[in-house]
Amino acid sequence: MSASVAVIQLPGVNCERETAAAIEAAGLSATVFAGTRAPEDLRGFDAFVIPGGFSYQDRVRAGALAAKHPIVGVLAEEADRGKPVLGICNGAQVLVEAGLVPGGAGVELALARNRMPARDGYYTRWIRVRVEETPCVFARGLEPGLVIPLPMAHGEGRFVGATGRMEALEAAGQIPFRYARSDGRVATEFPDDPNGSERAAAGVCNARGNVLALMPHPERAIARDAVARSIAGAWSAPAPCDLDAGAGGPGPGLLLFRALREHLEDA
Amino acid sequence: MNETRAGTWQAWIEPIGDDPEALSAADIARTRLAAGARLGDLRRARLIEISGSARDRGGVEALLHDSALIYNPHKERCHVRRDAAEPVPGAPPDTRLLLVTERGRTRRPAIERWWSRAARERVTAREGMVWALRFEAGADAESMSRELGTLRDPRHGLFCNPFAQAMDASGARAPVPWIGDEDDRAGRGVTR
Repeated sequence: MSASVAVIQLPGVNCERETAAAIEAAGLSATVFAGTRAPEDLRGFDAFVIPGGFSYQDRVRAGALAAKHPIVGVLAEEADRGKPVLGICNGAQVLVEAGLVPGGAGVELALARNRMPARDGYYTRWIRVRVEETPCVFARGLEPGLVIPLPMAHGEGRFVGATGRMEALEAAGQIPFRYARSDGRVATEFPDDPNGSERAAAGVCNARGNVLALMPHPERAIARDAVARSIAGAWSAPAPCDLDAGAGGPGPGLLLFRALREHLEDA
Repeated sequence: MNETRAGTWQAWIEPIGDDPEALSAADIARTRLAAGARLGDLRRARLIEISGSARDRGGVEALLHDSALIYNPHKERCHVRRDAAEPVPGAPPDTRLLLVTERGRTRRPAIERWWSRAARERVTAREGMVWALRFEAGADAESMSRELGTLRDPRHGLFCNPFAQAMDASGARAPVPWIGDEDDRAGRGVTR
C-alpha cells in the first residue's frame, strides 16, 4: 500500500489537482484535503503538500493569513515528528510566514517582492535550478550539481533574511535548490535568477531536511513534453523510464516527488 | 526631511465599501493572535505621498481624481492632507496607525511619470500601507498595536514581516511626510 500524502486546499489555492496528479505519478496516494475539514484529520497522513495559488487572495501579504490557520499548526507538529512537508510557491510563502522554514526560533525569513531590472510585479518563465549538497528529503538521491528545468510564476519569491542568515543556511545545506545558468553555475543575475533571491535560493528547507519551501512549480513539469524546448537541455528527448508520467515520459519535476516516495518507503 | 520632501501632499485612499482585506486581518488578529483579543476596529488605507508639487489642494485633488492610476473613485475615496495638524480620515483620537512599507522600494516611478505628463511637474511619489487600529477601552493600544504589527511567529504579529518590510507607528495625527527616504529603510530585520 502506497504512502498517503495530503494536498492542503486552503481558500484561494489553485494548484491542488496538478499537485495531486504529480504525487500519484510518483507512485504515492494523494488526497486533496479541504481547509474546512478538522485539522486533526491530518494526523493519519504520511506527508503533506501546500500547493500554489493565492491563499486568502494574498490579503495582508502572500501567505500571511494562511500561516495562522490551525491546519498549519498541525503541520508544524507533524513536521516536528519528522513527516515531510512541501510548500510550493504560495505554499512556500505560507511555510516561511509560519516559521516552519527555516525552522529556527520564529519567523526568520521573508519571501519579498521580486527584484527585477526595469520591471515589477508578477513574473513567470521557465528557469533552471541546481541541486546542492543537502539533507532535504525532496532532493534525496539527486546528485549535487544536477540542473533541473522548472517553471516559476510569482510576484513575491525573493528569499531574504537578516544579514548573514541566508549565507548560514547555505553553509548548512538548507538551500537545496538554487537558480542556475545554462552552464550549471549558480545564477548571478536576471533572468536566470528571476527574482533577486539572496544566494539565488529557489528553495529553503529546515535543518532536518523534511520541510521545504520551494518557489518553482515541480508539479507543472512532470511530463517531458511540458518542458520548454528552449531550456530543456538533457530533458528535451524522450527517455525510457519506469514511471509513466504522461506525454514524452516523466519530466524533471517528478524527481522531487519520486525522492519523497523513496524517503517514505524507507521511513 | 530633505528639501525635495518639502511640500508633501498625502493621499489617503480607502475602499468605499467594506474592505475584505481588513475584515480578514481583523478576524485573524482577534481569533489567532495573542494581542488581538481586544482589537475593536481595523481599517486599511493606501498612503501615497507626492513631494515637489506646486499645486494647491484643489489642483492636487483634481489630479489624483483624474489619474485612473492612483485610485478608482468608483470604489475608493481619497482624502488629501498637507499638514500633521489635519486629521487623518476616519481616525478618532484613540486610533493607532501602523505604516508598512517595502524595504528599499517605496518610490512609485509610474506615478511620477504620469504626474510629469499630466501636471508638467517633477515630483517624487512614495507609497505605503497604513493599518488603523482601535482597541477596547482600557487596553494598552500602543503596545498592542506594535505587537500586532511585527511578525515574530504564528501567534505574534501580522502586518509587517520585518525581513521584507519596515514599520512605523503613530497616533491618530500621522506626520507629513511619513514615508521615509528609501535609503533609510534599506536595512533588514529592524523596525523603527
